Amino acid sequence: MANKSMDEIKKEVRKLISDITEVPEKDLKDDASFVEDLGVDSMMALEVIASVEKKYKIVIPEEKIATIRTPKSVYDLLEGLMEK
Amino acid sequence: MENIWDINKIQEILPQKYPFLFVDRVLEINEAEKKIVCLKNLTINDYFFEGHFPGNPVMPGVLILEALAQSSILLFAALKPDIAAKKPIFYLGKVEARYLKPVLAGDQLILEVRGEKMMNNAGVVKARALVNNVVTTEAQIMFGVKIS
Repeated sequence: MANKSMDEIKKEVRKLISDITEVPEKDLKDDASFVEDLGVDSMMALEVIASVEKKYKIVIPEEKIATIRTPKSVYDLLEGLMEK
Repeated sequence: MENIWDINKIQEILPQKYPFLFVDRVLEINEAEKKIVCLKNLTINDYFFEGHFPGNPVMPGVLILEALAQSSILLFAALKPDIAAKKPIFYLGKVEARYLKPVLAGDQLILEVRGEKMMNNAGVVKARALVNNVVTTEAQIMFGVKIS
């Protein structure tokens, strides 16, 4: 994990979000709203979170989950958690 | 055989009632590992065997999944008793299941559920159903919890 650059991680997370939400990667703009633009419901969001946690062996605190609104917010959160 | 929660305690927790109750006993709760092990005894008297199938009593796969989902509610109640006490609505979000072996009348179905992500309003679990230590069903279950 430590060897991966943030760009690589971002690419992997994009793929993961795309697989779960069934939104093609090309349409997955960093600042698109999960709910309004991408049609993601709370269960899909939970699936994204659980998959990211499993893949990178991290725990996203419950209070941070409400701050996840866009793909970019996922990357930012991951970056913050991985620096620790 | 251990008996952590008996059928009375299970009925206090689960919103499902007869004839839609598919857990007989809780055998093990491990809060640190976020794990629960439950038991469902299958008898030829179980009503669904009458139609599924005549002369060939196989437990319907959807009911195995229901048993695993009910075990997941019990796990949630073990880990978050304060929320469970408020009698929330539990709803299924997504299920991915693989069926490996049929489950028959006479089998003791062991229902193992591990929490992957347990939050106050939702959960993701990995679940397996076993008979004689052989896995018959594997599933990932996502559920929501709504306090009405």
